[in-house]
Amino acid sequence: MSRSRGTAVATALLCAALAAAGCGLGPGAGIDGVELTVTREFGAAPMLERSLEANESDTVMRALEGAAAISTRYGGGYVQSIEGVEGGQRDGRPFDWFFYVDGVESPIGAADYALQGGERIWWDYRDWAATNHVPAVVGSWPAPFVGGYEGRRHPVTVECEGGGEACARVRQELESAGVSIAGDSPPGAIRVLVGPWARLRGDPVAALVEAGPQESGVFADFERGRSGYELVGLVAGGEAVRHLGPGAGLVAATRRYDGPPVWVVTGGTAAAVRAAAGLLGAAKLRHHYAVASEDGKETPLPVVGPARAAAVRGRR
Amino acid sequence: MRSPFAYVSRPGPLQAASPAAAVAFLGALVAVAFLYSSPLVLVAAGAAVALAGRLAGAWAAVRAAIRLGLAIALPIVVVNALVVNRGETVLARLGDWPLLGQVDVTAEALADGAVFGLRAIVVMIAFAVYSACVDPDRVLRALRPLAGRSALTATLVSRLVPVAAADAARLRDAARLRGPAAAAVGRAPLARRLLAGSLDRAVDVAATLELRGYSLESRRAPRPPSVREKTRHSSSLRRRRSRYDRRFYLAGALVLAGAIAGKLLGADGFHAYPTIRLGLEPTTIALSALLVLSGLTPYRRKPRRQPAASSRSTGRRRPNGGRLRPAGPVVRPSPPRGPGAAPARRAPGTAVLETPRV
Repeated sequence: MSRSRGTAVATALLCAALAAAGCGLGPGAGIDGVELTVTREFGAAPMLERSLEANESDTVMRALEGAAAISTRYGGGYVQSIEGVEGGQRDGRPFDWFFYVDGVESPIGAADYALQGGERIWWDYRDWAATNHVPAVVGSWPAPFVGGYEGRRHPVTVECEGGGEACARVRQELESAGVSIAGDSPPGAIRVLVGPWARLRGDPVAALVEAGPQESGVFADFERGRSGYELVGLVAGGEAVRHLGPGAGLVAATRRYDGPPVWVVTGGTAAAVRAAAGLLGAAKLRHHYAVASEDGKETPLPVVGPARAAAVRGRR
Repeated sequence: MRSPFAYVSRPGPLQAASPAAAVAFLGALVAVAFLYSSPLVLVAAGAAVALAGRLAGAWAAVRAAIRLGLAIALPIVVVNALVVNRGETVLARLGDWPLLGQVDVTAEALADGAVFGLRAIVVMIAFAVYSACVDPDRVLRALRPLAGRSALTATLVSRLVPVAAADAARLRDAARLRGPAAAAVGRAPLARRLLAGSLDRAVDVAATLELRGYSLESRRAPRPPSVREKTRHSSSLRRRRSRYDRRFYLAGALVLAGAIAGKLLGADGFHAYPTIRLGLEPTTIALSALLVLSGLTPYRRKPRRQPAASSRSTGRRRPNGGRLRPAGPVVRPSPPRGPGAAPARRAPGTAVLETPRV
């Protein structure tokens, strides 16, 4: 009798421990829906855009699997193809699927990335000859400012480095998106640096842009010209192909190691910075890794070279 | 004690067929198991090999293989359910585990693991039937021209493994026979004794092989065979072929052709992810029926009873070459009765019991 009572107590304790550890039967309770976007060629060719309901047990992989036909490798942890578009070599260049959650490259696999609700998931099929590591992108605006990233909310600060009017414009855009901007710079804050490149390049994280896409994941560079710094657009292979001029502004995001993402709203001149600030908003940033303003128009980065332009036209 | 997987000479078509024919038939069914993921097709392939084993008299091997296969399949299912996080139907959330991360048990991962396990069972049954029904000596004889030393090694292994199994059984019997008061003997001491005995036997075998000249590098060049030897050789080749060979080759070819055609026609309509989809197309059902029917290939009609008068000529052969007791009455050879005795009479319809040839 006492033995059976002991077994019952042990079973009850085990069940309580499992429940406390987040274990349970079934998919769990519903959480906020998530947005899923699937694109090709650095976001230039959209394939799928859907809002999905999610449960407590859902992962990025499960969300994708429920919305698109996929194939996987390595025990189901690596996405090999989505809707028949398969990773591999194309014209001698490596292509594969990469994903971002709330505008930040995930440090873990899609099958292990548990959803909290409200995430913006972006899968992109791209050339990774130049780099397979793009730590942050701007195309999930207003994420990561709204809702945070990697399952945690983070404070947001705007650091005005001579940006002038552009700083006010950036603050206004963020606040209209529902972001509360912190007054000081608390640790772990997502920083938005606004100002001419000559000032921003002193920031250790922003300076990664000059080290090339291998370091920053930003397909742009600044070259010193007669009238100051000029923005140069890079193609997917990492080669500089287009001088966008001193009036061109840049909105890009990068990240150093596991630190918080840093956005730069910059340009060679004050006018260029203002032009860059005008790019903020879902309409102009959506599905882009980074965006440059050129003569009042937005130019997605990396710059579309002739070969990629043909590929994008073909996929659309 | 004999292992259930050990070859036993039986008078059946599978045993009589040449090793190549048996391998073609069983190999085709194994190939189907690797080609297909549909549980229906896998079950049909498993039923076919089990039926073939049953008809060939290797039911003990089939049962042992099923038991062993289940013991392997169960861990496959469990590991797959814990490691693979795919599938939409979450059955249980087991929280975060070290190394594995978030573990969710899904119905799809369980089904996928079950398919892997089923495939393992089919392959195990096929190999069990092969092991129990195909004479290893014939296989090795066939392989000897290709790889002599490997054939010799395989011969020794195929001989020594059943001997070791018999040793283990004898040791267990001996341990039990010490009586109920004796201390229990653990597995480790038994295994140690078994290993020591096996090593002793291996040394003996090595010495014997050396004495017989197996360690010599080269041999004399063979002289050209005489006409008589050629005739004898061709007749021995004829003996190696079996009238059942064609049947097994045909069955294997049919199974393989059906599997390839079915694959092209979409008979493998099973997908575990993201939700379980089990396609039961007519092609799947037709292929499954073909597979089950192929299991009848080793079937042999039971020989009809012959009249007693002709029993001498139709008596079944024993494996060692002797004849079984015929149906009619038997007169044993009479003992010598001296040089002047009259010859013994034999009643009509009787047969003499022959001494087995060794």
